[in-house]
Amino acid sequence: MPLSSASRAIIHLDMDCFYAAIEVRDRPSLRGKPVGVGGARDRRGVLTTCNYEARAFGIRSAMPTFMALQRCPNLIVLPTRFDVYRKEAGIVREIMHRFTSLVETLSLDEAYLDVTANMRPPGPLAREVRDTIFKETKLTASAGVGPNKLVAKIASEINKPNGQYEVKPEKVSEFMHPLLVRKLWGIGAVTEEKLARAGITTCGEMQRLSRPELHELFGKFGSELYDLCRGIDDRVVEPNRERKSLSTEETFSSDLTTLEQCDEKVTELFEELAAELAQKEPTRRITKIFLKLKFSDFTRTTIERAGLGPNLGNYHLLLEEAFSRTGKKIRLIGIGVRFAEIEQEVAQLSLL
Amino acid sequence: MKFSATKEKILEGLQQVQNVVSTRTTLPILSNVLLQAKEGTVNLTTTDLDVGVRGGFEANVDKAGATTLPARRLFTIIRELPSSEISVEVDGKNAASIRSGQSFFKILGLPEEEFPPLPKFENAKVVTMRQKDLRDGLRKTAYAISTDETRYVLNGVLFSYKENKLTLVATDGRRLAMVDLELEFPRSHEADIIVPTKAVTELARLLTDDGDVKISVGTGQIAFDLNSTLLVSKLIEGNYPNYKQVIPSEAKERITLERETFLNSLRRVSLLASDKSNSIKLSFSKNNIEITANTPEVGEARESLPVVYKGRDFSIAFNPEFLMAPLRNLADDEIFFDLIDEMSPGVLKIQTPFLYVLMPMRVSA
Repeated sequence: MPLSSASRAIIHLDMDCFYAAIEVRDRPSLRGKPVGVGGARDRRGVLTTCNYEARAFGIRSAMPTFMALQRCPNLIVLPTRFDVYRKEAGIVREIMHRFTSLVETLSLDEAYLDVTANMRPPGPLAREVRDTIFKETKLTASAGVGPNKLVAKIASEINKPNGQYEVKPEKVSEFMHPLLVRKLWGIGAVTEEKLARAGITTCGEMQRLSRPELHELFGKFGSELYDLCRGIDDRVVEPNRERKSLSTEETFSSDLTTLEQCDEKVTELFEELAAELAQKEPTRRITKIFLKLKFSDFTRTTIERAGLGPNLGNYHLLLEEAFSRTGKKIRLIGIGVRFAEIEQEVAQLSLL
Repeated sequence: MKFSATKEKILEGLQQVQNVVSTRTTLPILSNVLLQAKEGTVNLTTTDLDVGVRGGFEANVDKAGATTLPARRLFTIIRELPSSEISVEVDGKNAASIRSGQSFFKILGLPEEEFPPLPKFENAKVVTMRQKDLRDGLRKTAYAISTDETRYVLNGVLFSYKENKLTLVATDGRRLAMVDLELEFPRSHEADIIVPTKAVTELARLLTDDGDVKISVGTGQIAFDLNSTLLVSKLIEGNYPNYKQVIPSEAKERITLERETFLNSLRRVSLLASDKSNSIKLSFSKNNIEITANTPEVGEARESLPVVYKGRDFSIAFNPEFLMAPLRNLADDEIFFDLIDEMSPGVLKIQTPFLYVLMPMRVSA
């Protein structure tokens, strides 16, 4: 039974441009220069991350490297060194565990900490976590403090980089009020537009709709939105969550009709997926790949293949097969991978 | 272009090259086989841009020329033709007319010029060895290649040329197979290269027990010339992990086993290895190995194997597939199994320079 949100204290900790920061730390000559980490241009690579100097040029993670170099020809693109990042992430994780055992890591550079049981107030505690991380790794982190995951996560962006922001339980409603609706989970371009047509761009405006009204507009998700826009979120911090799959999808503003259009989208989605995989689950063994199509009439089809590796060619194969199943217009494409259970992986010891 | 040949000869030629053809590709020409007819032979070439194969067959060539035809389709048509005599005629628009007995087929091809040429090998480092040696070497190692595409340097066989030895290595990070082949070459030819799985698979099919193979290593690519056929392949870029460090330098216990007897026992007992843990346990005691497997809520299997063993009693667990793979691919009657303890790699050896290192599985309490 989850504790009621009012009684919890959650910290969302987010390392500042983690991979790029490690590279700059290890090579002081890079300090102050735009640096990206990711695939090389000639291999159709994408950036996994970049530092703030690079972001000033409009560069963001998951952007194809060639595009980033167009925006900033002086960008220094470094290959990823995941063994190094994993080692640093291990140090950071160990530090977080000194403060609470309830640590849920979302990726190498991001985690939730439930510090409810700690007697000290969460704000100073978050500062101490960040200070300790900096002292031991020379890397900066940002934090959001709030009564639940949703609020903590949104708050961690406010004073980024190297800052923190606390939302006290009694200030949650006020905090949510001016936020744009797209800050909420599950709100993408289409939902945002639909809401905009109804005159709703902020959470405060959404709060004026009743639960039935939101349900009318968005079905079951509408009911969730009713809570989310008020900053209500009961999900618990689950330590050591094991991701079973990772996927990325896009809903199109106008339906796709030809295989060529879909092919193009799959290529884009694949780059996103590859970047996410590299960032979030660089070590897990992949057992299956899958592709999901949702049609204009909201029916859907999914193809899953064991044994095929996550490469673009294979996703194109799945697409062709899924596409040929019906002649319907396509509203959404999703692609993803499923992971082997971690338990199975450790049973067999490794040589290399 | 116009030629006639026997069905058998054409099929044999197509079989050699058709596996390379990519089934699905954005470049239609890669689904085609290049046919070049002149002076009593028709050369056949296929490529997927990573691997290319050239072979051919004897034919009565009435008119020299070249074209490309869809490889799989051509193969299925030829295979189904009723008579053993087949004639093929290609017009200026790359349409091929195929006649045999009462049958007539017309299939449309693409111009020869669109077909990507196989790479040239200039200043390549060339060594020659017996086909049989290379074939045996690949057979003893290739099953250990990794299929995990995220560790792409392991998706092939390492060819390491050093000190007049060609060492072949394959590993998936949990087991490693290695073989040394004696080979003479100048010091300047020393190199470590990684030949991708697809090329290894095709090569293993093409190599025979007779004759030599000429191996040319160029920049980023390799060619295997088997006289009548030629296979070229891109190499995998990257550094192969330091495999030597995983080979145990010592062994506490050496057990001599009859390969087939051991394999048969493992095969039987593994029928009851669970899908989930997929492990099989070997328990050593005085002059005996007990092989056991069990699946909760399904059942268990047990088999004893008398051996000469005087060491301490202990148990070690392995993935049965990983343990059986080398046993299936070796021909020797007798094998040696070197072990240290339950958490250290086991090593299979034979009389000739070969070894297979296998990490055990953690035995659950």
